[in-house]
Formats: sequence, C-alpha cells, structure tokens
Amino acid sequence: MSETILKTEKLCKIYSMGKRKVHALQGLTLQVVKGEFIAIMGSSGSGKTTLLNMLGCLDKPTSGKILLDQQDVASLPEKKLCEIRRNKIGFVFQTFNLLPYLNAEENVELPMEHSQKSKVERKKRARELLQMVGLSGRENHRPNRLSAGEQQRVAIARALANNPSIILADEPTGNLDSANKFEIVKLLARLNMSQGTTIIMVTHDGQVASHTEKMLLLSDGRITKEKQGLHLAKKNQQCPYCGNKIQIDNDRCPSCGKRI
Amino acid sequence: MGIMTRAYRNISRRKTRAILVILALAVSMAIMTSIPAGINANQIAMQQTTENYSKLTAEMQQTINETMKLITCEYPYVDPSIFPGAESYYFSETDLNYIASIRGVKEIVPFLQYDNVEMQSTSTQDGRQMMQGGLVYRIKGIDLNASLLINYLPGNITEGRNLQKGESSAVVIGKDLKEYFHADLGDTINIKGKSFTIVGIHELTGMDPRNIYMSLTDAQELLNLTGKVNTLDVYAEDSSLVGDITNTIDTAYPYLVVTGYQQRLQQLNQLQGMYDKALKNAESSLNQTEGTARGEIALAVTATSLIVLLMMFYAVRERTKEIGTLKAIGFSNWDVMSQFILEGVLISMLAGLVGIAVGTFATPMLSSLLLPQINTNLGTGGSPLGGGTIPLGNQSSITATADLQVAFIMFGVIVLLGAIGSLYPAWRAAKTRPVEALKYE
Repeated sequence: MSETILKTEKLCKIYSMGKRKVHALQGLTLQVVKGEFIAIMGSSGSGKTTLLNMLGCLDKPTSGKILLDQQDVASLPEKKLCEIRRNKIGFVFQTFNLLPYLNAEENVELPMEHSQKSKVERKKRARELLQMVGLSGRENHRPNRLSAGEQQRVAIARALANNPSIILADEPTGNLDSANKFEIVKLLARLNMSQGTTIIMVTHDGQVASHTEKMLLLSDGRITKEKQGLHLAKKNQQCPYCGNKIQIDNDRCPSCGKRI
Repeated sequence: MGIMTRAYRNISRRKTRAILVILALAVSMAIMTSIPAGINANQIAMQQTTENYSKLTAEMQQTINETMKLITCEYPYVDPSIFPGAESYYFSETDLNYIASIRGVKEIVPFLQYDNVEMQSTSTQDGRQMMQGGLVYRIKGIDLNASLLINYLPGNITEGRNLQKGESSAVVIGKDLKEYFHADLGDTINIKGKSFTIVGIHELTGMDPRNIYMSLTDAQELLNLTGKVNTLDVYAEDSSLVGDITNTIDTAYPYLVVTGYQQRLQQLNQLQGMYDKALKNAESSLNQTEGTARGEIALAVTATSLIVLLMMFYAVRERTKEIGTLKAIGFSNWDVMSQFILEGVLISMLAGLVGIAVGTFATPMLSSLLLPQINTNLGTGGSPLGGGTIPLGNQSSITATADLQVAFIMFGVIVLLGAIGSLYPAWRAAKTRPVEALKYE
C-alpha cells in the first residue's frame, strides 16, 4: 500500500495588498505518495510558488493543514520548521542559490553542518553526491567557474545532502538552455527512481513536466486538472505507446521509436 | 567548513571594502589608543609640575625662613670717577669680627659689590640735556668658602658651570653681557685691566641684570680693596633676634644701610603667588584637555559603531538572498545572526590589530594633534637673596607613547563595538522571512 508522505487539506493563503486581498491558494487539497515525482504547472500567478513555499515550510498558510509525515507543520513554531527544512526537505531553486564564496563541495556540505556527521563524513558524502550528479573532479570549483547546468547539479546535490524525504524544486530548469533542461529533469527522474526520493517540481514548461509521473494543473489557487506523465511508464519499464520494455535512460522507445 | 571560514571568506571576497572599513576602524582604534596615552603624558607632566611646585615652595619656605633671619648691611659704592671726592665706606676685618660677635648672630656672609656706572646724556621733557648714570655691569665678589654659597651664586646656568670653591680668575656672566664683552663661554675677557675666563653663563632673571660673578679675592684685587667688603648678609640665630641685632648694627655704624626682611618677604610672596597662578592654570588646562579627550573618544566610539553598523546593514541587504537560501536549507535564526555578528567581530579584530600597529607608531603625532599640550611652565624668577637665583619650573613636555595595556583594552573595546554594531543588522537578517529573502533580487 502506498504511503502518503505529504498531504494538504483545504489549504488557503491570502495576501493583503493594502486594502485588496489576494487569494493565492483557495482550499487546495493535495496528496503526495512517497516516491512520487510530481509536476505542478500553471500560469503565472496561479499559486504554484506559494504552494511550494507552504509545502517547504518557508511560509505559513492562512488556513488549512499541511501534513508532512503525518505531522501538521502549519502550526509549528519557526524553530521546529527550521529542523524540518533541514532534515526532511531539500530545495532546488530556479537561480540555483549557491553561495558564491564556497566551492561545489562546500556548498553541498553546507546543509550537513548541523547534522551529527563528522567533518570527514560530511566531506565524503558531499563527494559522493557530486559524483552522483556527474560532477566528479569539479569539487573545488566555485559557482562562477561552473556552467548553469553544473550549478544546478550542485544545487541538486546540496538538496540531497541530508537525505530528505522530499525534494521541492521551484522551476529548476527555468534558467537553463534546452540541452541542460532535459539533463536536469532526467537527473531528477533518475534520483526518483534510484533513491526513491519524492520530488515535487514547479514548472510552466509542459515538455519538462511531461517527464514526471503526475502533472497537476493549478489555476486560481486550486488544482483544476491532473494528468499522467511519461515517468510512470519508465518506472513500469513499459512503453506507453507499444507496450514493449523500455529503460529509464531511453529518450525514445527502442521498439516503436516514439519519444518517451 | 565552519562558520568562521564562511565569515572570513565573506570578508575577503570584498577586499577593497574590507580594507577601507578596516582602515577606518584602525584609525578610530589608533585615536582611542593615542588619546589616553596623551592624557597620561599630560598627567605625568602635571605630576612633575606639581612635584616641582612642591619642591619650589619648600625651597621658598626655606628661603623665607632664612630671609626672616636675614639682615642686609650695605655701604653703597660711590665711584670716585663720577663723584670726585665722594667717600666710599667698607667693612674692615675688625668690623666683621665685631658684627659676628653680636649676640644672636649665627653667620655673616661678606661680599663686595661694585657697580660700573657710566654717565650718559639724556634729554628732559623741556629739551634740556641731563647727565644720568647707567649701569654697565655689576661685579659681585663672593666668598666662595661661605656655607650659604648656593644662595649667592646664579642658580640658572645655561652654559658651562658655576664658580667653584677656591677658584680664581674665573667669572660667570649674565647672557646680556656676552654682547658687551663680545665674548662667549671659555673666552677670556678683560675687566679693568685684568683677565678672566668665562666659565659659565647664566639666564637673566630680571632681578640681577648685567652681573659678573667672581671670587671675593679677585674682586678685592681688581678694585684695589684688599681685605675690604661693602656688603654683608648677617643671619640671626632666630627671627625674634633680628630687631635687636639690627638696632645694634645701626647704632654702631650710622652710614650703613641696614635692610630688614619685610621688603624681601613681599617679593617672595609675590613670587609664590605667581607660582600658584601658574599651577592653577596648568590644572585648569589639564581638566580642559581631559574634557576634550572624553569628547574625542566618544566621537571615535560612535564613529566605530556607525561604520560597523552601516557596513553590516549593507552586507545584510546585499546578501538577503543568501540569508533566504541558508534558512531554506535549515539554518536557524541564531545561525544566521551569529554568522553576521562573527563577521562584524572578525573585521573589528583585524582592524584592532592594524590599529595597534598604527597606534604604536602614530601615538605621539596623534596625541599632539588631538590634545592640546598643557602649560606646565612655572616660569623662572630671581632669588631675593642678593645674587642667587633658583630654578622655578620645567619647560619640557612629556611625549605620549602608546601603552600596550591601553592598546589591548582598546582592542577589546573595538571588538565589542564591532559586535554591538553588527548586532542590529544581524538581528534584522535573522528576522528576515525566508520567502521574502528568496524573492529578493
């Protein structure tokens, strides 16, 4: 039976802009199963980022519940939220948000600073993660010496540092060219497959979203549509078009040749 | 890679800014170090002045005590070349023995005083020409074996030395006579056909101008007055006996001018009043200086805090997105706050080290620039005891030098100010909502 890792109930967020009230989220209910790879799509101002911030404990809802591992995080104090962000959530940002004065390895080590790991263990873990995202040999490079795609890989490695239950990615491909864009989304897909990490990704790019397992369309602070992505087929190792066997890294079905 | 490395990296990545801030703080630190050093130097100078003053007043008191017991007996010298036929009187050996034997006389100090006067023509208000005597020099023949010799020799020798016991053919002259004789220290001068070597030159005191000090024997030989003296200082055993002794001498020698202590005492009191005033001026000057110093230190402290405050505010603003990222990856408010405080402290520590170096070398210059030197000069004056003068004060100023203990205290102060200055910006950084911080461009 699938385990629910994240659940929202009647989630509302109202912003006051002077006298005007903006309803960013309007009673949104969502359920995320452990190991899912979800894309949240929607037009600008639909509430995607607001929802991600709520799920990531960076902001509090006006009303409603957010249950992360059965715990309602909406009512927790800042200190507890900080611990949850550190241990249960990994963030990937559109602009990478790497610290410019730290090299790749140090950036990945940063979230582990408050963990029980020793300095040596932290270093080892950082190197492993950088290897996993394909950046072996680039450990000592500072962000300004890495390409945009490489910087986002470092950011993904950093998000994985404390082995979080869930990764929240806010437009992770928004600042990348098309080649890097698919590399990153494939990397996330691979992580989801190999590590079983739950990923929720906000994007307005349909092609990128199609590589996920489930696409949720957000409009005016509500989920208006849900659609299956190609990732589920890859997970099942079965081409959605011809039904023949496919591998996770296949861009096209080896049997029917269709893009997957 | 801990918080310290991050703080250091953050400082070093904005090198120009860090250097400018460090320099500004170092100057503040140097000012804070040099001002107490300057005050200390002024206090030492003041202390020395007070000590001098105490010494002087003690000497004055001794002089006053001696003066109370002193009777000056003087036969005015009359120059026969100016007043032909006029007779000058002198004490003979018998006179000296008699006066020394009067009851209550403790000691007599004989000396020969000769005024070399030249007649000069001056015009009166109604245009008439008038001849007037002008002092060219005054010879003071002093018994170099006298026990109270110190009171009769010039006390403020500026070049060479004073006359010594048993010395002959040597003179000490006032510096105003250098020009008259066209001679300097070590030169031989001719006085009334006899050669003398200048062994010392004394500062003028206003009370004994144009003096030539020599041994009594030399003066007697020079003036063809062997065995004679025209001035005698008589010391009574006690001031209560002065009246009786004065009367006895007055009765025995009707032509003798006998002067008591009252007039001299008045002069001494005036002199003491002058010292008191000078000391009060110095004390008031010191208080004023300390007030200025307090103001300057307050200014430096405020400037330091403001520099750190502004720098850290700027850093917080510039790194808002970084604050958001740190919070998103699990850094607590305290983690963020301590990061910024540490940066403020670290930059203050670096500034403190530079400040110690700058302060050590620049303290003399900075303290003289920032603090007015107190006037510790008590002036110089003449002794009312005949030819003698006494030193009245020092004119030297103490150079301020950096005190290592003060420097370390100021190092602590500047680090503390760095922490205080970065406290509010750091608190603001910690309180920044991660959502808002992440949106910041």
